[in-house]
Amino acid sequence: MKLFKKMFKQKTTDSISSNSEEQQKIKISLDQNIKYINETLGNSDDLVSRIISVGQENRMEIGIFYIEGLVDTQHINDFILDPLMVRLENIDQQNDLPTVIQKSIVSVAKVQDAHHLDTALSSLFSGQVIILFDGFTKGFTVGLSGGKSRNVTEPSQESVIRGPKEGFTETIRTNTALIRRKINSPNLWVESMNIGTVTETKISLMYINGIVNKKVLKEVKTRLDKIEIDGILESNYIEELIQDKTFSPFPTINNTERPDVVSASLLEGRVAILVDGTPFVLVVPSLFIEFFHAAEDHYQRWDFSTFIRTLRIMSFFITLLAPSLFIAITTFHQEMIPTPLLISLAAQREGVPFPAFIEALMMEITFEILREGGIRMPKSVGQSISIVGTLVIGTAAVEAGFISAAMVIVVSITAIASFTIPAYNMSISIRMIRFIFMGLAASFGLFGITIAFIGLILHLCSLRSFGVPYMSPFGPFNVQDQKDSLFRFPLWGFKTRPRLISQQNRKRMESRYPKPPFDK
Amino acid sequence: MTKKIIILLLPCILLLFITGCWNRRELNDLAISLGEGIDLEGDSYRISTQIVIPGEIASKSTGSSSNIPVRLFTTKEDTVFEAMREMTTVSPRIIYHSHLRVLVIGEELARKGIDEVLDYFSRDHELRTDFYIVIAKDTSAENVLSILTAIEKIPANSIVSSLETSEKTWAPTTAVKLDELIQDLVTEGKNPVLPGIEIIGDPSNGKSKQNIESITPSSYLKYSSIAVFKKGKMLGWLDREQSKGYNLIMNNVESTIADVRCPDKKKFNFEIKKSQAEVTANVRNNTPKINVSIKAEGNIGEMNCELDLTKQTTIEKLQKLIESDLKHVVQDAIKSVQDEYSVDIFGFGDTIHRSDKNSWKSLKKEWNEKHFSELEVDVKVDVKIRRLGKISNSFLTEIKE
Repeated sequence: MKLFKKMFKQKTTDSISSNSEEQQKIKISLDQNIKYINETLGNSDDLVSRIISVGQENRMEIGIFYIEGLVDTQHINDFILDPLMVRLENIDQQNDLPTVIQKSIVSVAKVQDAHHLDTALSSLFSGQVIILFDGFTKGFTVGLSGGKSRNVTEPSQESVIRGPKEGFTETIRTNTALIRRKINSPNLWVESMNIGTVTETKISLMYINGIVNKKVLKEVKTRLDKIEIDGILESNYIEELIQDKTFSPFPTINNTERPDVVSASLLEGRVAILVDGTPFVLVVPSLFIEFFHAAEDHYQRWDFSTFIRTLRIMSFFITLLAPSLFIAITTFHQEMIPTPLLISLAAQREGVPFPAFIEALMMEITFEILREGGIRMPKSVGQSISIVGTLVIGTAAVEAGFISAAMVIVVSITAIASFTIPAYNMSISIRMIRFIFMGLAASFGLFGITIAFIGLILHLCSLRSFGVPYMSPFGPFNVQDQKDSLFRFPLWGFKTRPRLISQQNRKRMESRYPKPPFDK
Repeated sequence: MTKKIIILLLPCILLLFITGCWNRRELNDLAISLGEGIDLEGDSYRISTQIVIPGEIASKSTGSSSNIPVRLFTTKEDTVFEAMREMTTVSPRIIYHSHLRVLVIGEELARKGIDEVLDYFSRDHELRTDFYIVIAKDTSAENVLSILTAIEKIPANSIVSSLETSEKTWAPTTAVKLDELIQDLVTEGKNPVLPGIEIIGDPSNGKSKQNIESITPSSYLKYSSIAVFKKGKMLGWLDREQSKGYNLIMNNVESTIADVRCPDKKKFNFEIKKSQAEVTANVRNNTPKINVSIKAEGNIGEMNCELDLTKQTTIEKLQKLIESDLKHVVQDAIKSVQDEYSVDIFGFGDTIHRSDKNSWKSLKKEWNEKHFSELEVDVKVDVKIRRLGKISNSFLTEIKE
């Protein structure tokens, strides 16, 4: 513990000090401004500075600055250079030429005044074009952000059979637009801020005003304000810095790649945190059971969805308990196994040199290595891992007599079951806890499993996600919210929003049981 | 605070390592015992244990099981527990009793008294109470356990399976588990019975593989009859019909066959599908009287008599015939037990105890010897023929020469 504290306490004295300087005002001389910009950016290669002379006798010099790749060059040609060079030809030098240009020459929607070079420079990196004038201490920035970004594609993680197939991209504007398209309401509010002293990453909070839990929103804002870090490269940076409990294997913040999932969460009164540069959007607060829900649960019929959810809960228990139960029962409680099964299991174990626990541990670790290898290895050699994996785990280990066939079955079922859990972060945490269960099962049998399970439940009940009990609606138990937790009731039963997420505007709809029209 | 947590956590983690996995047994360290036998040899017990060799049972190359799937270990000691522990000197693995299916008791030991050996079997924590107990008729338990069987590879399983199936479809056998046996032993006015198993053929032939390689095994096991006990001591055997009568009274019949003679001396079979027996008692002037009423339902199983089964009167006539046949079987069973053994295996004493506990106090002293053997038993049988099978009248009646 002390070690941890020491590690965390270490303070860095040298911080990047660009912000501490006084704001640099725009100089009257264009050359000085160019010099300053070049100095600040270290003569970076991707900075394009274009000086044009306009007006009669080309007396007027205008500097245009942008970062190549962040702006749409074609638009600069069409909407800035072309009007400036053509339409300004016959204009006399006027006192407020910049205002004239801003108001009637540049045909771009997003134009902002700039008086300070530093603020103008920071907007340079979000894809703005700076226009400065020789002889004026005033310029403006033009929003022409463009350049290459990934298209909206089907999300790779949360695929569905039925349902929208679009996923978030790395561009935050696209992402907010995707959500806006789902919720056409003026009450869908977006609040943005930049976090990261160096990266200045754009973070947007999205929520529906009037539905959102204001306390949670406030809490999210205060937690975000406290972040002091040099860079945010993925939403996990935010997640780890604002989550309720660090030392817990369970995630208390959900993430998703799907706009429909975010929209559904917003409608329930949650807050979405979008981070520029990643397609993974955070949703708070998140409950334990929600990590077992898939988007598709609401797009398929309710009975089928309920069945699938039950299946997932079963898979959860299989992932958590199958290897440890197998170890406990075969090494401590043989009397619990039916006689024919016992004989068949004993026959498989004949000649196996390791205790059941070591056997299970070896196989589970082999599987984890295979899984990790499958993700990390280059796609072009992906074939070989499956072949080697099946050979190692499947046949060779059994035929060599190192591993009993029953253990292979148990490990495989555990592996498959762990992949039915829709949230990857949840399935990882369960797979980790599984090893603790196995160790206790090997030392104390079913007693060990019972103790570990009680400990697990105590821990889960102690967790909170932004003040909402993690295990609700089971602990605290809430009858109404059972409609969308373990079961998925028919949609006409979804009269209210979840009680513990948001307390205001709880009514979703007048419940009307669908009936055929009356016969006369 | 952190110190406290470390102080608390450290022993917990260390505990994990010092447990040494107490009581942990790998599956391949166990010798799974499915059948055990006890014989009397001189003044000491001879214990035989049938151990399964799992590799031979679940071998992947089905059909060509090259070896014998079980081994029999025997030891001799003064007490059962001692003998069991001595078994480790001959067995390479710990004998694991939890999956015991059957306990065979030699007839010699049974005649001397089984109550003492049962103490170990009901006391030891590993043993369950749901294994069957059978008596080896005219032979030793060791011999019974050393007969190899073909369809069920494990002989102990074979003994249990044929006991269970025959009890379901063939009334003369009765299956008794340890808890039932002990219940019968301690109940006043009730004495236990146990099924008897005998070896047909030479016992020494059954030990080797040749026995199961032949289509007609030279020696095999067969359930023959029921052994009558007076508390722990065996007195003798009931024959087939008597056993059937016993089971009809005891409500043990799930399904069986009644073999009935028609007026024209030919035979027909009645398949009992459901039989419900009710035993009531009343005591008048210190003389007890027992009423047995049996309600049986079933089908015609086989019909060789020349009768018109389409007529209601014929069915009624047949029902009367079956009733008198069953009544005869039951009465004969009671009578022969009264005369031969004068021991109340039917639990009539218990019935009287339940219905009239005051008179039982005076009756119980000489119950088996005096009152039971002179007991008046009234038997009523009510038979219903429900179905005739696929055909009504037999085609035999239509064959004309």
